[in-house]
Amino acid sequence: MNGMIAIFRKELRGYFTSPIAYVVAAVFWGLAGFFFTNILVRVINYSQQVDLFAQFGQDNTFDAATILSQQFLNLLGTIFLFLLPILTMGSYAEERRRGTMELLATSPVTNLAVALGKWLAVWVFFVTLLLPPLVYQLLVLNSSNPAVDYRLTLMGYVGLALMAGSVMALGLFVSSLTDSTLIAAVATFGLVLLLWVVDAAAGQESNWIAATLRHVSLLQQYSNWVQGIVSSSSLILFLSITVLGLFATVQSVESLRWQQS
Amino acid sequence: MTVSSSNSAIEVEHLSKTYGTFTAIRDISFRVNTGEIMGFLGPNGAGKTTSMRILAGFLPASEGTARVAGFDINQDSMAVRQRIGYLPENPPLYTEMTVEGYLHFVAQLKRVSPGDRAAQVDRVIRRCSLEEKRHTLIRKLSKGYKQRVGIAQALVHDPPVIILDEPTVGLDPKQIIEVRNLIKSLAGEHTIILSTHILPEVSMTCDRVVIINRGQVAAVGTPSELTAQFQGEHQARLQIGAPTATAIREVLQGIPQVQLLSLEPKTAADPQRWQLQLSSSRPVDEWIPEVAKALIQSGMALYEIGRSQASLEEIFLQLTTQEGSEVASASENAEEAAA
Repeated sequence: MNGMIAIFRKELRGYFTSPIAYVVAAVFWGLAGFFFTNILVRVINYSQQVDLFAQFGQDNTFDAATILSQQFLNLLGTIFLFLLPILTMGSYAEERRRGTMELLATSPVTNLAVALGKWLAVWVFFVTLLLPPLVYQLLVLNSSNPAVDYRLTLMGYVGLALMAGSVMALGLFVSSLTDSTLIAAVATFGLVLLLWVVDAAAGQESNWIAATLRHVSLLQQYSNWVQGIVSSSSLILFLSITVLGLFATVQSVESLRWQQS
Repeated sequence: MTVSSSNSAIEVEHLSKTYGTFTAIRDISFRVNTGEIMGFLGPNGAGKTTSMRILAGFLPASEGTARVAGFDINQDSMAVRQRIGYLPENPPLYTEMTVEGYLHFVAQLKRVSPGDRAAQVDRVIRRCSLEEKRHTLIRKLSKGYKQRVGIAQALVHDPPVIILDEPTVGLDPKQIIEVRNLIKSLAGEHTIILSTHILPEVSMTCDRVVIINRGQVAAVGTPSELTAQFQGEHQARLQIGAPTATAIREVLQGIPQVQLLSLEPKTAADPQRWQLQLSSSRPVDEWIPEVAKALIQSGMALYEIGRSQASLEEIFLQLTTQEGSEVASASENAEEAAA
């Protein structure tokens, strides 16, 4: 526990002092702000048109707030697909390259505590990245008329945080396999992209393999959260990918000790 | 937990490590007494780093075991890790941290209680003369300072046992002396294992030496024990002035049981000054006066005379260039001598 806190604090401080993390934050906030404004303007224009048509007796219902929320959250998910591998790429690869694995492996701290500390640190950093978009999205929704149910939006963010958690656990694992941060980033990106769109492989089939592929697809699960459909199965999927990733990380770090070096 | 009652801080018993078919170390056994500095000497690739990594808990042993501060490295790995300070060959530094921040992190990692951390960090910063660099980022430090930070991290939890893998490698001569003095000042309170392939380092800093070659212990003992034991034949060095080499040979032929090992001009500029090495089965004291007398009587000048003692270098070379069986017998002798 003590070791986990030590690792967590060190890693978190690392993120807040690392130029890479600031570049990631700047890129993310910049893109998120740009797309948010973009979507917002489109949604407002469209609702004005709907209002106009309504005056001529056409009755179109258009839930602007929900459309805004869903489009924006889907977009955040896609942006993070690219950014998360960059946040986790150094977690173990850097330790291996610098030789600090030897310090961790000879300190009274378990591999699991190290992995949990690292995972928690990157997750907390990620959540801080999410706070500004969450705040301005809520501000905008607040001015909507009629009033909107915030819970839908919050659900989307919870889903995003859960999905990011599982992606990070996979990222940690990939990072523990190599001492090159670049390889770790590219391989993580490939793996996550595959999981993101794996349902495409299912095509129109309806057998159990296709069903499994559809279920495993991160995009499918995340879309459910964004639409406010919270099923225990998607919660379990995200959590089990996280646990699996952390477990694989611990095993991979343990196996480093058995390699000839 | 098994806490042994002996006064050995480190007891290594029949330790072996194999990687597939490659044997890195084979059946290594030795003890290090509490408060002692033990030099771990061997050519590159002899198994020094492997042995130290096993002791520090980084690598699992294939066979055998060791006890560090009374705890078994296989069974009580966490207890051992808490009682050991380990400096790997490349100091494990987080270069984006400040010296102080890094040492705080290591202190927490090594389970120093929160109340003691600041005091312990202060203590090692003073001990390793890092006061001025306290708030400097580690990546901006020179190699010598980085090495000191590396030593500081091995000391920050005040461990009874310290393992240093080649602590002076890559430093300039002044830094080497500073690091050696620092290590010497740690003896007594801490038990230290120090690996090196630099021989003078051993005679300067270590109380005892383990010479390791091809993964096996070739000799154990104090530097003076080893020198005494590997004295070999009785030899003497002389520097004399004589017109020709033949003249010297003729004089020496008259002395029984003394062989001429080498004879060569001292310098090219002075062809009349010769350097020679003599050897005999009799003790040097018995025949050296005879040799001196004979040389002087034949009109030669005697500039220098002395017994040549086997240096640690020679022992080291002797041990590490011998083959199989000879090494084994030398190691048995050495263990008897050490016991």
